[in-house]
Amino acid sequence: MLEINLSGLKLKSPLILASGILGVSYSSMKRVFDAGAGAVTTKSIGPSPRKGYKNPSIIEIYPGTFMNAVGLGNPGIDNFVSEIKEIKDKNIPLIVSVFGDTNEIYLEVATKAEEAGADAIEINISCPHAEVASIGIDKNLTFEIVKFLKDRLNVPLFVKLNPNITNLNEIGLAAERGGADGVVAINTLAAMVIDVKSKRPILSHGSGGLSGKAIHPIAVKNVYDLYKVLKIPIVGCGGIDSWENVVEFFLAGASAVQIGTALYKGTEILTNIIEGLNKYLKENEFKSINDIKGLAHQFKTQEVPDFD
Amino acid sequence: MTENTIKTIKISRIINECKNVKTIIFHNSTELKPNPGQFVMIWVPGVDEVPMSISACDEVNNWAITVKNVGDCTQALHDLKENDLIGVRGPLGNFFDKPVNKNKNIFLIGGGIGMAPLRFLAYELNKSNLDFKIIQGARVESDMLFMDEFYEYDRRNSEFHFCTDDGSYGEKGVTTEIFQKLIKDYTLEQLKNTIVYSCGPEIMLFKLFQICVKHDIEFYASLERIMRCGCGICGLCALDPLGLLVCKDGPIFNSKQLKKIEDFGKYKRDFTGKKMNI
Repeated sequence: MLEINLSGLKLKSPLILASGILGVSYSSMKRVFDAGAGAVTTKSIGPSPRKGYKNPSIIEIYPGTFMNAVGLGNPGIDNFVSEIKEIKDKNIPLIVSVFGDTNEIYLEVATKAEEAGADAIEINISCPHAEVASIGIDKNLTFEIVKFLKDRLNVPLFVKLNPNITNLNEIGLAAERGGADGVVAINTLAAMVIDVKSKRPILSHGSGGLSGKAIHPIAVKNVYDLYKVLKIPIVGCGGIDSWENVVEFFLAGASAVQIGTALYKGTEILTNIIEGLNKYLKENEFKSINDIKGLAHQFKTQEVPDFD
Repeated sequence: MTENTIKTIKISRIINECKNVKTIIFHNSTELKPNPGQFVMIWVPGVDEVPMSISACDEVNNWAITVKNVGDCTQALHDLKENDLIGVRGPLGNFFDKPVNKNKNIFLIGGGIGMAPLRFLAYELNKSNLDFKIIQGARVESDMLFMDEFYEYDRRNSEFHFCTDDGSYGEKGVTTEIFQKLIKDYTLEQLKNTIVYSCGPEIMLFKLFQICVKHDIEFYASLERIMRCGCGICGLCALDPLGLLVCKDGPIFNSKQLKKIEDFGKYKRDFTGKKMNI
């Protein structure tokens, strides 16, 4: 009932671990898979070890809503290959998130990941607190990198979209034109918290990315809008912490979802979401979760306000 | 406000414990009460944020951390004065399960700054009228911690054993040797009735674990790993192969878990996430 085929990836469930959460060691990713995820996405991996920003780099600001500015800290692809191999030994569908300074470095990292066994590549062109965001805000740069990588990689390519712009549809369409196998919407939203007592921004980088509960409705709106213009699958991402949130993304047009921040509550949350999804589909007499995709679009919304 | 939210709090008191170690006390107006073994993420504004064991908490929610100066952030913590602000997130992680049976032989075994969470535990055991045996190990006499306090609550049958690497205080040797000597003449039943709480260098914890497994002694160790979030998101503190997280599933692990943790005593991750030898 929950099986999906996402651009050729056959997954036992539509819940995918989002990049940046528990994605450093094979063991924590296996734990997430065992709890019910259909696939896991690694932390964004670059060409060489990188410490990223100092702490505070991940904090909760309201219950269920987090801010982070990790600054793409990662062990580098060469140190990470062993983790990829461990995951593939365990037959866990694996998406490796990659970043680089240039298209060529994206390719270098993605190629090493592919050779080590990655089932798909997700490109991070949208991290709001690091330099790569410059690609994700420009439709031409987005088109170029996607086309460049698609011509040279064999596995499916997903593009994680940056919501910190005026028109996300433009970027989504550029990714589709470049040959992307799907888009992931959305990455975290640029934001800041300032401590009133010390009068300084709390995160060491100052600003960071907002994730969790607060961004869910924003992500649903972006998925809903993208669905109207894209033919390639959309993976909904942002603030999922219940089965209702997953259903919402599907109704808006998602073909799969990513879950991240809410895992701070423990991996059991995935098991609960799966139970809830199965129950919802049964009660509403759907045979598969694929059957509810985009159903919200059948309803007309009011375009022009009433006057008088 | 949750335990993962940063609260900026004024330092109310600073105590010089010994050369290189200070205890910092602050009043936390939260309703959250820490238990022995739990930790906090301490933010020094403008510098860094690091995990620290809670070394005491009194009835009116004055929390204490005991800090050894080992790096940039701990140096900055040592430079702070009373009334300066620090950020606090916590209490985080699990805690030492207190023994239910009053007749247990309770050992608190700490190496160096590892005494910090055990001191909080000692206070709580003392409050519950439970006797215990502390074994404290340090490199030299000037590293010994909380000595005055230990003699203060030596009213009942609690015992205190000390050792230093150079013999400048207590016995010359290490905690594992003293522990083995103390249990040498234990009967099987006594061993079964023994419980060990430990914190300190992981090599020491690993040796204690091996001794306890051999003698079928109930064993708890507090582990330390680099972390960003302290709440199960960043994954830097994951232990292979089960993916247990020091910040959420720990920092306290029992021997049943430790038996399955291949990283225990061997590997940790640096701030980039790269695995390295301990």
